[in-house]
Amino acid sequence: MLKTLQVLFGAAAVFFLIVPLIAILPLAFTSGAFLTYPMPGISMRWFNELVTADAWRRSIVNSLVIGCGTTMLATVLGTTAALGLRGRVVLGGLFRTMFLLPMVVPAVVLGVGMQILFVRLGVANSYLGVIAAHTVVAIPFVVVSVSGSLEGIDRRVERAALSLGASPFTVLQRVTLPLAMPGIASGAVLAFATSLDEVVLTLFVAGPNQRTLARQMFSTIRENISPAIAAAAFLFIVGTLLAAAAAIVLKKQRQRRTGLA
Amino acid sequence: MSEVSFRQRVGALALVAPLALFIALFFVWPLVTVLKESVSDATVSHALPTMVDAAADWNRQSPPTAAMKAALVTDLRGIEDQQLFGDLVRRLNSAQAGFRTLLPKTRTAVDKSRETTAPEAVDLEEIDKRWSNPAYWQAIAGTLSPFTDQHLLAAVDLSRDGTGAIVALGADESANLTILLRTFWVSALVTLVCLAIGLPYAMLAAAMTGWRRQLLLGAVLLPLWTSLLVRTASWYILLQDNGLVNDALQSLGLTDAPLRLIFNRVGVVIAMAHILLPFMVLPIYSVLITIPKTLMPAAASLGAHPLLAFLRVLLPLSLRGVASGALLVFMAAIGYYITPALIGGAQDQMISSVIAFYATGSANWGMAAALGIVLLAATLLLYMVYGWLSSDKTARA
Amino acid sequence: MAIPRIRFDQITKSYGSLRVIDGLSLDIAKGEFISLLGPSGSGKTTLLMILAGFESATGGGVWLDGKRIDHLPPYRRDMGVVFQNYALFPHMTVADNIAFPLQMRGVRKAEIAERVKRALDMVQLGAMSERYPAQLSGGQQQRIALARALVFEPAVVLMDEPLGALDKQLREQMQLDIRKLHMRLGLTVVFVTHDQSEALTMSDRIAVFNKGIIEQIGTPREIYDHPATRFVAEFIGETNLIEGTVERVEADMATVRLAGGSEIRVQAGTAATTSAKVLVSVRPERIHLGPDAGERGNALRSTVVDSVYQGDHLRVQLDDGAHGFIVRSDRRTAEWPQGAAVVASFQPEDCWVIAS
Repeated sequence: MLKTLQVLFGAAAVFFLIVPLIAILPLAFTSGAFLTYPMPGISMRWFNELVTADAWRRSIVNSLVIGCGTTMLATVLGTTAALGLRGRVVLGGLFRTMFLLPMVVPAVVLGVGMQILFVRLGVANSYLGVIAAHTVVAIPFVVVSVSGSLEGIDRRVERAALSLGASPFTVLQRVTLPLAMPGIASGAVLAFATSLDEVVLTLFVAGPNQRTLARQMFSTIRENISPAIAAAAFLFIVGTLLAAAAAIVLKKQRQRRTGLA
Repeated sequence: MSEVSFRQRVGALALVAPLALFIALFFVWPLVTVLKESVSDATVSHALPTMVDAAADWNRQSPPTAAMKAALVTDLRGIEDQQLFGDLVRRLNSAQAGFRTLLPKTRTAVDKSRETTAPEAVDLEEIDKRWSNPAYWQAIAGTLSPFTDQHLLAAVDLSRDGTGAIVALGADESANLTILLRTFWVSALVTLVCLAIGLPYAMLAAAMTGWRRQLLLGAVLLPLWTSLLVRTASWYILLQDNGLVNDALQSLGLTDAPLRLIFNRVGVVIAMAHILLPFMVLPIYSVLITIPKTLMPAAASLGAHPLLAFLRVLLPLSLRGVASGALLVFMAAIGYYITPALIGGAQDQMISSVIAFYATGSANWGMAAALGIVLLAATLLLYMVYGWLSSDKTARA
Repeated sequence: MAIPRIRFDQITKSYGSLRVIDGLSLDIAKGEFISLLGPSGSGKTTLLMILAGFESATGGGVWLDGKRIDHLPPYRRDMGVVFQNYALFPHMTVADNIAFPLQMRGVRKAEIAERVKRALDMVQLGAMSERYPAQLSGGQQQRIALARALVFEPAVVLMDEPLGALDKQLREQMQLDIRKLHMRLGLTVVFVTHDQSEALTMSDRIAVFNKGIIEQIGTPREIYDHPATRFVAEFIGETNLIEGTVERVEADMATVRLAGGSEIRVQAGTAATTSAKVLVSVRPERIHLGPDAGERGNALRSTVVDSVYQGDHLRVQLDDGAHGFIVRSDRRTAEWPQGAAVVASFQPEDCWVIAS
């Protein structure tokens, strides 16, 4: 009796969690103009639309440019800071909290502040401004991820390298960074994903020229929903699955080779 | 001798500094800007500089002093920026109706007599007898401070009357409180739905082993990795009138006509619960897996009925996870913008939507900032409680 | 005397108000194997870390071959360190691990390959060169760590409880192997351990640490047979300590009156001055149990309280008549059942006097 209930509940909950992710996928291939089942036919027209329609194409390019910019900036800043936070920094706890807070503060509030401030700083409606805004919300993921992998490094391994004649910079380069690489890589992936999916700050700080894919999807859903959304969603989900699969394969390989987690 | 560790500290600080600067510039400063914007009210003091001094020791009860009247004339004659004058009129009119006509009229009159009459000699009451009404002077005096609490008060449907006392706004004037309460109510609903699904789900996941557990955890993590917009778009497709949910309900014969599931509260709660469910499941799960598996058999061996054992042993132990999860979900929900904006109707807009409206729609920065501060304060408060709960680990575990 | 390889002079180390090393001075000769022995928190590891350059002393100085090295960072100190958990680089192969210090010193590629091979052969792990550390057993990792610390022929080898994670049998094997390497290569070794039998087995000299100071330094024999303080006597091996007062001192012998009124004759150490309050230490294996004292100088009449079978010997606990002595009794002589009347006898030479 209890067993049956458990199975039923578990199946229903998994269904509730997964189906919304799957339901949208087939519609990417509809030949009709509406996001409804049954589909009148199969076609690639909406993928075509993504790469040919000006608004979509430019938004994809913008997302890639801004995503790459954010990833680089957030990964460099976050990794450096995570390295610094490892030592006994004055006010280390305060810094750590500051770096995590962007995850907590409501995006709309931050967006209002950025909109006012960016105009004064002269970075409103610029790629620089959007990249800075996205980097702020991507930073917590990088800091958490890199800090986590740094914590996993035995300090004695680094001391051993020092005692064997490696200067601190060489230790960083030959020992610390290679060992922290999984954390840095996953931080970078998370930063890119955060940027790709960011809408709220983009609404406040981006001009028409910096319209990102997510922003384009947002206004498409809001104003004139079309199956191009499903095609974009398809790309998103396939991209996520590929990234996850790649991460798992890499991790397995590394584990088999070096026994590292 | 402690030079080495000093150098290390400096080195560590140098590594942290770039990000600290970046965060200060692009995160702290915007928030400070919001805070400043929510309390700043420099229009009147900027437009009427001599008035600031003249009205400094006026008690607001007696008639306005001659110095104040002269200052007003001087300042009105001094305003050259048409935009500034417009801002002044709007600001004063919002404090006291009537300034919209009174001020331009007075300005024209005093400008005309600029060459002939000294400021002290201008008879304002002759230009317009409303100047004999102390309410207008009180309004000016009340708006002279470069700082104001009017936006913050308005954010919770309060204002100051002519004498400076705090009063409730009329029911028709603002709906911010309603929206705040709605925000909390919708967030509470979402939290409850997440709890109702998340708690048993986490318990199930913790009780299972092998691929079953992997499946249950994977089903929670996959949405977390999926774009928020994709999930929202998906719910849009599922919930629309001719969407899959309505199709299913009708083909099962449960309903005859499509149910209205989108652009209303039901849709918002369903979609938000789906999006935030992982934040409920994961904290509870992480607490549950630390509970030894032998605890329930131990309770049973001591004579506890399974239900009693659950209530007395498992549930209390998982409470910290439940509290963390509920706080996380609630905290995220009150700041949500995208899902209510896309799935909700006009009656489901939460505080974030209103802030966005004030900021991008009507350029009312003061109100946007004030509501933002209210939201920020609520969020940070919840975050502190959350931080306290999760740092308390050792004390309770 | 020649310039010591290592000299610690008045080293002090404090963390805030906590003083972990207190004015410690120590000279270590070239080619010497010295153990720093003590309980955890006694300051031995801290001293090693100061020597390696990972910690800086609050006061005092460190010299290597007559040159002061306090200011040198760890990577300029020319010391091979073997860590407790080996601290091998998990992302490098065994060969790369061992090549690392040579690369840091700019050794030519061909020479590196050859020296790595020699180092691996030295620890008998030539076949493992392309493996990763995680694919090796604990003992193999230990050997690799050793090879890595020796391959660049450092002036000193520092070992921080390097055998702590190994099981007993492997540990004893490694003790002998390290000892052999030390003698063959003429290494100067500073070896930190809390295991007294390990220190006794391996060392030329042992420095016994307690609360930030060296309680005693000497050869294993001196430390074991002639402990200078109560702490050393109790920390190194097992011993029986009895309180007493020195009655008389004659040449190299002294008479001590024990608490119960009986008198024993003891070796007169430096602590034995007339009417001084002292502790007399008698090792359990030096006490003989029998019906009478025989030829041995000291005898105490007693009753067996408890007798525990321990394989190669009996562990016998005596009553107050013999001051609650623990005795390691050879099983071949007799079994001592509980309640048996017995005479515990021991030579004056086996009694060591410690100032109380």
